Amino acid sequence: MSDRITVEELSELMKKAAGVTVPADDLQQQQDSGFDTFGVDSLGLLGIVGELENRYGTPMPPDAERSKTPRQFLDLVNSALLAGA
Amino acid sequence: MTRRVAVTGIGIVAPGGIGVPAFWDLLSHGRTATRGITFFDPSGLRSRIAAECDFDPGAHGLDAEEIERCDRYIQFALVAGDEAVRDSGLDLARENPWRVGVSLGTAVGGTTRLEHDYVLVSHGGRRWDVDHQEAEPHLHRAFSPSTLASTVAERFGARGPVQTVSTGCTSGLDSIGYAFHTIEENRADVCIVGASDSPISPITMACFDAIKATSPNNDDPAHASRPFDADRDGFVMGEGGAVLVLEELEHARARGARVYCEIGGYATFGNAYHMTGLTKEGLEMARAIESALDHARLDGTAIDYVNAHGSGTQQNDRHETAAVKRALGRHAYDTPMSSIKSMVGHSLGAIGSIEVVACVLALAHQVVPPTANYETPDPECDLDYVPRVARERRLNSVLSVGSGFGGFQSAVVLTRPREKTP
Amino acid sequence: MSEPHPRRAAVTGIGVVAPNGTTTETFWKSTKEGISVLDRVTREGCEHLPLRIAGQVREFDPSAAVEERFLVQTDRFTHFAMTAADLALDDARLPRSDTDGAPFSVGVVTAAGSGGGEFGQRELQQLWGKGSRFVGPYQSIAWFYAASTGQISIRRGFKGPCGVVAADEAGGLDALAHAARAVRRGTDVIVTGSTEAPLAPYSVVCQLGYGELSTVADPVRAYRPFTSAACGFVPAEGGAMLVVEDEDAALERGARVRAFLAGHAATFTGASRWEESRHGLAQAVRGALDEAGLAPEEIDVVFADALGVPEADRAEALAIADVLGAHGRRVPVTAPKTGIGRGYCAAPVLDAAAAVLAMEQGIVPPTPNVFDICHDLDLVTGRARAAELRTALVLSRGLMGSNSALVLRRGTAGAAQ
Repeated sequence: MSDRITVEELSELMKKAAGVTVPADDLQQQQDSGFDTFGVDSLGLLGIVGELENRYGTPMPPDAERSKTPRQFLDLVNSALLAGA
Repeated sequence: MTRRVAVTGIGIVAPGGIGVPAFWDLLSHGRTATRGITFFDPSGLRSRIAAECDFDPGAHGLDAEEIERCDRYIQFALVAGDEAVRDSGLDLARENPWRVGVSLGTAVGGTTRLEHDYVLVSHGGRRWDVDHQEAEPHLHRAFSPSTLASTVAERFGARGPVQTVSTGCTSGLDSIGYAFHTIEENRADVCIVGASDSPISPITMACFDAIKATSPNNDDPAHASRPFDADRDGFVMGEGGAVLVLEELEHARARGARVYCEIGGYATFGNAYHMTGLTKEGLEMARAIESALDHARLDGTAIDYVNAHGSGTQQNDRHETAAVKRALGRHAYDTPMSSIKSMVGHSLGAIGSIEVVACVLALAHQVVPPTANYETPDPECDLDYVPRVARERRLNSVLSVGSGFGGFQSAVVLTRPREKTP
Repeated sequence: MSEPHPRRAAVTGIGVVAPNGTTTETFWKSTKEGISVLDRVTREGCEHLPLRIAGQVREFDPSAAVEERFLVQTDRFTHFAMTAADLALDDARLPRSDTDGAPFSVGVVTAAGSGGGEFGQRELQQLWGKGSRFVGPYQSIAWFYAASTGQISIRRGFKGPCGVVAADEAGGLDALAHAARAVRRGTDVIVTGSTEAPLAPYSVVCQLGYGELSTVADPVRAYRPFTSAACGFVPAEGGAMLVVEDEDAALERGARVRAFLAGHAATFTGASRWEESRHGLAQAVRGALDEAGLAPEEIDVVFADALGVPEADRAEALAIADVLGAHGRRVPVTAPKTGIGRGYCAAPVLDAAAAVLAMEQGIVPPTPNVFDICHDLDLVTGRARAAELRTALVLSRGLMGSNSALVLRRGTAGAAQ
């Protein structure tokens, strides 16, 4: 497991936790699109956050699920992971 | 001729006190019944607080067989039902049983027993292909949600329309609404109505944890439920049951019954927005309020008190404030609006009926129950939330509203007995 | 112009996802031909359990029927419900473009007998096997009884009156009646019905407590109501949704009025008190006829509850005789559910759907697997029977004691197409 969350991992989590398939390459291209445009709602983001917390054994920032875009989300959780490391 | 619907009896099992006098004492003094969870070890949960009932079913007239057979939420309904029927003075043995109905709400029904037995049959969550030999004898009763209305109907000999209603957190308003229609439209003369839930179990706590809907204020449980306060951080789980006797008004008058109040109107709509999310505007709840008022032939300015859903989540309280302002206009600012969830927590499907009983009592005592724990105003919630202290007030018509997962938005209007309209 | 008349609740669309067909057409074809699809329960984790036979929906591919996210976010019973609702709305030719302009005029009412049991079991497994932090966010909206009503309302943008009866079998008819009353009170359209998915391992274990459940392993013998070999009922999954609409609103938009929900009544006679259900059912039929303004002799076909428990079958036969008198011995009675099982709340909704189709086509479908009736009923067995059907009576009783009767009248859309 790497020490930062990649677009690939986010893509996998979006499928697993929210049931939304966006291939990693596409997600890479569309990092500034809103999660809502992919069909990921607030519950989906909560699921992704929960899954990350269980995987990495560390709490994520309290507002991670309010992130509007993949880029915002990755920046937030990765800074938290770095700080926790 | 329009048939009118009267409330002639009430009964309640709520946190902080069993029975109507204890419940009203809690509300009118603004005390809170929220505390650290004692039913199971909540460590590992984000929210480890709840409003639990100190409930001894044996002390309230249930025998050993009933206690064994009936889930806790059904025990609540039986005990509250006994109180309500006694309170109404109805001799059900003298009623035509085909004209007596039951309409009870529950959001999660037998979940607590389902979870308990699941641990047994799955060998602690290890087997998907469960071991049926470990199941307990009454498990099927927990599986079937109609057990609630069925058990209560059997107890009181009702043979008319018997329904369990399950619309998430509006179940306790909708169960009353369905029965209101049933009497109004002449399918029954008497309905035993209400709602019950006992959701304080690991699975239900965990699922609300997962969506961060419940308060994590574990250090100060007594002040954790803070509806409309700027610092609110989620709802506090509760449990309980409330039962009311609804009766066609002339039927009640003919037997000289005490009429607490009338159900004047009811309406429900979907928000078609999100299973858990609420809009900022509250359009659909406003529509439910307007429609219930129309049904009651009242103008918004007639409402003297709004019993809020007031769960204490950021989005709910904003949504609801907007909805009430939209429906009542300027009058909203002159109308006290409080949330008893600040005191008794949020018992999911049960709370709607518990809140209607609070409204019945508010009308009877001419007192508005407060919103406990309200300290810091939120600019987006700018109505009169009756902070901390109950208030005497002339009350003729009151409104109770609710929102439920699935998008349900419901409203019930209660009015003091009026003289016959020509 | 015709005289103003009270609003009437018309059926303008039918959507079926049943063990014997995942479209209304295949369902009706199999039903009409009396094909039984009862078979071994093969859902994962169920095969070792004492329930051997059920009506399983084998032809259903949820990923082809609903958006991918719903596969993760909701239970099988809701996949069925969303699919059946889509089919019913398509059948009613009521696309989103027609409903978006007046969202408050369309509501959703469903009945649910067990909710999202498979989803719930998975999350319980997570909680007790791994810990509370492994419970996902969708547990809060997938397991509960209101999931299907909520999801249909949101997915389709319907903001009208939404409701859920959490019920035993008879609740399926109560939901339809609830819809009809909402239409009479002023809502233009209600999408209503029930779908169930009770064939997850833990849900099956819960049902084993029903004394009426058949655990017979032979699909031909497991569910044979009204015979001396009756040994209980076989459960099923799937269900149906109907579009119920104000007649005038339907006619105005050029929709086919396929049938009317003309009368309904519900009573209660106690859980498993089958002998007493005779009076409860009879009372419900009287109430339904009264509301429909029909005399007992005007009933042209009866869709029976057909529990398959001798005492209950006898009570039902007697109830029919009590209300319909001599006509009760002549009127064709059928129970197509013996070919697909009893899908709890969904069972009588499928019967109502079949009743609409039967009236349209003038055909009474048969009762599969049932021969040698031991009651004084004209039960249609073997093959379908042609008959002029202007009305139909659907009966249902629930394991928790509810009795319900629904009277339908044939619509104005014309007979066989």
